[in-house]
Amino acid sequence: MEQLRKTDEINPAVLQALLEKICRSCDLLDTTDCKESSCLVGFSKKVLNFAAQKGMLDIPGAAGLIPAGDFKPYYPETVAPVLAETCRQCKECRDNHSPDCVVALVRTAMEHTVLPEAITYPGSVFMYLATIKSHDATLATMLAEALKKRA
Amino acid sequence: MGTGVFRQRNGMVAVDVVAACGVLTPGQLSGLSRKLEELEAFRVKLTSRQTMVVVLAEEKAQALIEALPALDLVLSPYGDVIRAVKACAGNAALCPRSTGEALDLGIELQKKYLGRQAPKDFKIAVAGCYRGCVDPHCADFGVVAVGKDVFDVIIGGYGGSAKPLHGKLIARKVTTGAVYAVLDHVLERFSALAQPGEKLGRAISRLGLGAFMPPDELVNCSVETDNNEFKKFLLSGQ
Repeated sequence: MEQLRKTDEINPAVLQALLEKICRSCDLLDTTDCKESSCLVGFSKKVLNFAAQKGMLDIPGAAGLIPAGDFKPYYPETVAPVLAETCRQCKECRDNHSPDCVVALVRTAMEHTVLPEAITYPGSVFMYLATIKSHDATLATMLAEALKKRA
Repeated sequence: MGTGVFRQRNGMVAVDVVAACGVLTPGQLSGLSRKLEELEAFRVKLTSRQTMVVVLAEEKAQALIEALPALDLVLSPYGDVIRAVKACAGNAALCPRSTGEALDLGIELQKKYLGRQAPKDFKIAVAGCYRGCVDPHCADFGVVAVGKDVFDVIIGGYGGSAKPLHGKLIARKVTTGAVYAVLDHVLERFSALAQPGEKLGRAISRLGLGAFMPPDELVNCSVETDNNEFKKFLLSGQ
């Protein structure tokens, strides 16, 4: 029998663990200046916690709260694995893609860390990789490598 | 108002049974099952409107109809009336993707409006998000949850036609209360303006959407989603 996809199959723990890795290299960790609402990684962690608490995969209005003004230095080496994980967990909703989807929120926040602007998600992982390549070939290579590692 | 009892080509009759937007308790299901076995029903078909069509011998149909109230089920109305409401599984218990309590609203709308007279059959669909599992753009009155107690309203769609038509958005981000107010307004305009047997979508095509638009005071209750629960959660602990 064909394996059916379940709507609760996203795995926030994997994303959380990768986000924690970014936090561990942050100078603001465990200081009074560590503010999740104004930090792209902190925002992503809050999104995942909220979604887990509420059992929901869409958070209406959350895309408008992404702290795009967070200009701390981030490194593509640590961000690429998070982007790769969002690709793995993306349900490829295509026409029904929602920017307030939990996976999309984390992906968009991570894009802001290393790209000048977030990418309009084309609705599928394959097209996403092609779009990233057109913006940043180095990041695209890292993303492809990260996807291969756990494929 | 007609009722959902239809003679079949095999000599039996089909009785259309309405539950709460297709939701049954185990007690209702087992009670109905026992009754249908007792009446030697031939088949039960789940319909696209989330009702159940029971096919059984004509002389036993009345006994089934009489048994429905005790099971908290209803014989479907038929004809130019408001039909059974289609609502998706969108609520906190049944669908993690739902952005609002669509199923609960659908059940309440059905309780209030099922069987009301209209110029032509009038179908309502309530979806928990824009994935639209119940095809809200193909309903006379489509509602889509876009947040907690926040809904968009679409009118004038129909799917069951050689020339299907998508409905048009007439209210954005309105409260549950406003959904009721907009529905009352649309039904009043539909009754006043439609020709006999004219679908709402066709009446809109003939007269223009403006003739059916709710007044500003009904829809100017837009809910600011910035002020949502997630924003409070995001800012908490800082």
